[in-house]
Amino acid sequence: MPDYAPVDLAADTLISFELNGRTVSVPPTTMLVDACFAHGVEVPIFCYEPRLGPAIGACRMCLVEVEGMRGLQTACSTPVTADMVVKTTSPQAVDAQDGVLELLLANHPLDCPVCDKGGECPLQDRTFRFGPGQTRFVEPKRHFPKPLNLSNRVALDRERCITCFRCVRFSQDVAQDAQLTMQERGALSEITTLTGEPYEGRFTGNIIDLCPVGALTSIPYRFVSRPWDVANTPSVCGLCSVGCNTELTAREGDVKRVTGRAEPNFAVEEGWLCDKGRWGYDAGRSADRLTQGVIRDDGGDRDALLEEAVEAASLLLRSVTGRVGVLVGASATVEEAAIAQDLAAGALGGARVARLGIPGHGLGVLRGLPGAQLGDLDHADLIVIVGGDPANQQPIAELRVRKARRFGATIASVGPRSHELEALGDSLRTTPGQLAAGVTAIAERIADSGHPIVLWDEADLAAEPDAAAELARIIGANPAGRQLELGAEVNGAGLRALGLPAEGLLEALSAGEIAGLILLHADPLSAPGRGQWSAALEGFEGPVIAIATHTDRSTDLADVVLPALTHWEQEGTLVSMTGRAQRLRPGATGPENAAPGWELLIALAHRLGAPPEYRTPAHAFACLAAAHPAFAGLTYGTIGNEGEVITPPTPTSPNGVNAARPLAGDGVPLVTTTMIYGDRATARSAALAGVRTPAEVMVGPALATESGLTDGAAARLVSLFGESRLTVRVDDAAPEGIAFATLGAPGAPTEALLGPDRGPVRVRMGAV
Amino acid sequence: MPVMNSVYRHREAGTPLTDLVAYRAAGGFKALEKALADMEPDDLLYAFHRSGLRGRGGAGFPMGRKASFLPKDSALATYLVCNADESEPGTFKDREIMEMNPFQLIEGMVLAGHAVGATRGYIYIRGEYEHQARILDRALVAAREGGYLGTDILRSGVTFDLTLYRGAGAYICGEETGLLESLEGKRGQPRLKPPFPAVAGLYASPTLINNVETLAALPPIVEKGADWYAAIGPEKSPGTKIFSVSGHVTRPGNYEVVMGETTCRELLFGMAGGMRSGRSLKAFWVGGSSVPVLGEQHLDTPIDYESLNAAGTFLGSGGCIVMDDSGCIVRATLRLASFYRHESCGKCTPCREGTTWMEKVLQRMVDGQGRIEDLELLESLFGRISGRVLCALADGAVAPIKSALAMFRADFVRVIEEGGSARPEPMMEVAHA
Amino acid sequence: MTEAEIRAHIDPIRHEYAEGRSLILPALKFAQTEKGHVARADLDAIAAATGFSAAYVESVASFYDRIYLEPVGKRVVSVCVTLSCMLRGSDEVLEALCAHEGLPDHGHHAGGTSSDGEITIQEAQCLGYCDRAPCIQVDAEETVGPLTPDEAVAMLDQLREAPAPVAFWR
Repeated sequence: MPDYAPVDLAADTLISFELNGRTVSVPPTTMLVDACFAHGVEVPIFCYEPRLGPAIGACRMCLVEVEGMRGLQTACSTPVTADMVVKTTSPQAVDAQDGVLELLLANHPLDCPVCDKGGECPLQDRTFRFGPGQTRFVEPKRHFPKPLNLSNRVALDRERCITCFRCVRFSQDVAQDAQLTMQERGALSEITTLTGEPYEGRFTGNIIDLCPVGALTSIPYRFVSRPWDVANTPSVCGLCSVGCNTELTAREGDVKRVTGRAEPNFAVEEGWLCDKGRWGYDAGRSADRLTQGVIRDDGGDRDALLEEAVEAASLLLRSVTGRVGVLVGASATVEEAAIAQDLAAGALGGARVARLGIPGHGLGVLRGLPGAQLGDLDHADLIVIVGGDPANQQPIAELRVRKARRFGATIASVGPRSHELEALGDSLRTTPGQLAAGVTAIAERIADSGHPIVLWDEADLAAEPDAAAELARIIGANPAGRQLELGAEVNGAGLRALGLPAEGLLEALSAGEIAGLILLHADPLSAPGRGQWSAALEGFEGPVIAIATHTDRSTDLADVVLPALTHWEQEGTLVSMTGRAQRLRPGATGPENAAPGWELLIALAHRLGAPPEYRTPAHAFACLAAAHPAFAGLTYGTIGNEGEVITPPTPTSPNGVNAARPLAGDGVPLVTTTMIYGDRATARSAALAGVRTPAEVMVGPALATESGLTDGAAARLVSLFGESRLTVRVDDAAPEGIAFATLGAPGAPTEALLGPDRGPVRVRMGAV
Repeated sequence: MPVMNSVYRHREAGTPLTDLVAYRAAGGFKALEKALADMEPDDLLYAFHRSGLRGRGGAGFPMGRKASFLPKDSALATYLVCNADESEPGTFKDREIMEMNPFQLIEGMVLAGHAVGATRGYIYIRGEYEHQARILDRALVAAREGGYLGTDILRSGVTFDLTLYRGAGAYICGEETGLLESLEGKRGQPRLKPPFPAVAGLYASPTLINNVETLAALPPIVEKGADWYAAIGPEKSPGTKIFSVSGHVTRPGNYEVVMGETTCRELLFGMAGGMRSGRSLKAFWVGGSSVPVLGEQHLDTPIDYESLNAAGTFLGSGGCIVMDDSGCIVRATLRLASFYRHESCGKCTPCREGTTWMEKVLQRMVDGQGRIEDLELLESLFGRISGRVLCALADGAVAPIKSALAMFRADFVRVIEEGGSARPEPMMEVAHA
Repeated sequence: MTEAEIRAHIDPIRHEYAEGRSLILPALKFAQTEKGHVARADLDAIAAATGFSAAYVESVASFYDRIYLEPVGKRVVSVCVTLSCMLRGSDEVLEALCAHEGLPDHGHHAGGTSSDGEITIQEAQCLGYCDRAPCIQVDAEETVGPLTPDEAVAMLDQLREAPAPVAFWR
């Protein structure tokens, strides 16, 4: 984890001070501890963590000598002043560092050989460098029964705790879940939750990364590996559109752990991860993982070797060249999508390519406005959240908004559903179809703000294009106004940048214009409008080739399934919701008989007689960067570890698309909700088994009575597009007259109620 | 028994003044009437400053200077906080003021609050002083009814009200930032300074914090004038100070001494009655348990800040604990070490771990498992604990042990060599001041 | 206690504090008057009434010696053991009381609650009654001293017989 705050040594204003005899410069207000580190002097620390807020000066590890100041100073809380004379290695300072370590180690169990932190433990490292060689403590050490499970994922070993307060401050100040606290006092102090309660939330795993000793460890990683037996690879999380920078810890070809990076991306996740991003990696080993090719023909289903399956797919495709459709799912990488485009244009003889996602024609007006990165929220004075539910859909955005609030920003929310961040400020709840009015209501505040940033939800604004237009007008009216899209899909921005449309393929399929279909990480039978896709594919005679990582409804009907690698296993590029192109790097090798999607597509091209010029993702990326202006000038090298913001083609909204869309069908308006642990990715993770939440339809008591629904029972929901069953939850706080149903859940019940373009709908409900 | 020239009206009157009528009859609220009629807040501040009054909580910081650190015209509310968390071992002088003379404290707080522009003050009283809290509760009601508190005090247009806040048992809440944290509803762990409370105290607002005895000294300063107070005792340590004397003396109790004019000998032997017959003085901790211990050779030291500093100790809170030669200095030191271990808040490593370690070593000595090298170990730990933490608790924990080891090293060696220290007979005689 | 009862206690004093967090300690002390300790349900009630998490309320409570998160006897007897009282015989008093109640009398865990649940005996740090050493505090109400061990035991017997006040701080 990053220990010191970054220091901009190239800032316009610098002040000089003397550090261990040499003169160095830093920007004013830099904390001494950071200034030292920026100039190559490591002052040891434990409690200091700039991401947690102002220093608390508790561990006393960073004591240094400052001339003219009485006693030693904590470098973590002493701002550099001009001409200050600092000695970090004077006998007094050295004695203080040695002394604090001696005291910290007095009661520390020193069970390093069996401690998961051993080898990557700041306490170990700092003792090695700054501490005493032996202990003078002959008394019995403090003992606790060990270890204690804070949850199914985090173990607490109280004997190892050095009371640095990092975890507690994270819970109280960063995640603000208020669950983890310090109890008792003095030497009896211990970190704990409310007695008997687990530590559950969206961000609990960060305390493991924060812990500078082995007190907090990951249960799934417990006793799995020593740090010198693993390889760590910087990568990106592919579970939502935020694009958190991660580090994959792999051993024997398998991902064993996902953590924040040692050098976090301050523009994105700032080193934090949500628990899904941290523990969702074992989805790569789930029971529904595709580890073999599947060939489905007159002889039935059979597993096939990769070569055989590719050969079978190419044979089938050869027969329908010129009339193929390619559907690209939102988790496909930029490379996979671009190679699919090339394949379609070349070997497949001009196939139609589309993405499975939100068309969002009305969103161009918003996307064309100056954009912000999540890191920019630190400097906003007003943050408006329009629609969406960042805590559940783009979890790290929640932490960034909470931080901005700590920094003094005002938060306002307007949208159709309740969400965690509403409580940070004013909130205006709108009924479906009325978002534009809600947006108008906050116009004045945006106009009056010096640095407003509007977080807007892709799906909600796409459903209400009149609100998108109004919002764009309001943001645009403030020269300082910026927008930040809360993207609905992992790589939606990347696929859009390649020019992939979200429409046309289903229509062509229904019209009989398509004779063969390639599904690239796309499962239309679990997507919104799945009823329409199902109808179009029913009786579809042509071959269906699915390139997928896991079995799903669509792979179940494919003629050939090509097993692909996951984001934890393959190279590629994802573009985050804020337009950052960031690199995936493989941590695991994946199943022996599976291959990365890009390789499968290239293999198909070869077999179809039109091999592309590239053979690697890097080369493929170079080619697509040359072909697509959005990626112009980018290479794997320039993207590097930090990512690069792409320049998408200036989007425009066609005339007329910003009119209000009527709610389709009859009944009550449907509002979709998302639960962080209610999705298919969570369902695949064993580590997250304990926190899964089921799909449901939430209604207010009056609507429940009116519709004959009872809490906990099943309801049948019918819309213009389809029907489904969901478990009812009657919530006294739910706005009446609206049905709230979970999207993204296993089985995709709510997706059946939506149309393929995810437009607003009404539903009728009744008991089953 | 009335005390001539006492700063505290109940001592001057020789009777408790828990009743508003009685307090007024004894001259109470004259200072407030004078201040509201004839003085501007700045005049009050100047009077505090010129009186030379130093904080009676322990640190002895000049009260007027502390008050002058508060920013003028702050956009935030300004608060006055009275530290009534009297928890320093051996100290019970604030208890007496609150028990016997609550209105003088209230009057002093209205004066201080008005001087710094506060409209609300808090009295943070330790949880164990519930009896005294109830006396204050009643006094606050009476003062409010009498027009001495609340809006438009004595029809002057000045608003100031007081809230009594009860602690719940934590010595560290007597540390001013620990107190503020506790008053804010948090765990009472001291804050990193700066910012100091004068700039960002209660609710991050400018806050003046003073001890009960300090604030209660303000009415006579205002009424009789700063010069009157400044003329009592030496220039740098003017005024009187109440000393609580306890332990092995025959007349334990509170004694108000004129600074600089009273020696330790007079306090211990003259006022507090000296030792039991057949016993002689072994050691005394003159300013509470957090100060270096003194011995017989220090008895003629005059009681004032400077003289006691010169003798190697501090005036502290004025909680003077006395031990005669029946006592074992190692056991006494261990008992204080246990106190600090119990009261360490746990925030800073050196204090949390160091107080635990020191207690364990001393316990071993008393139990007969001491090693001669433990003395050196202790000596090397002192500097690793004291002065390397956020607040003064660790310094207070180290001072009595360090000084005892320096002054009575032979006793430690004897305890180690003799295989421990048997518990001596306590002094069971019952006597009152 | 219920959330409503907590609110009834703190709402009238809410205006005295710029931040509602300050009400946690008064609420804890008030809740404790009911059963003598703060039970889990009380933590939840205080959390609801103040808007802070129960975990946080518990964390604050655990910092203070005189907030009890475990059940205590009907009467709580705190024996000051700090230096002034020690010199005057507080160890002897504590031992006599503990022996009388059959409770451990030394180490960090001296005292406890009597087997009949009537009396809790605990060590206390300096109570500020050093002029009356050795002193004992009964609940948070009354501090008595000086006491010989025999007098202390007799007082304990009286306490056991006497009806406890209706609501009081321990």
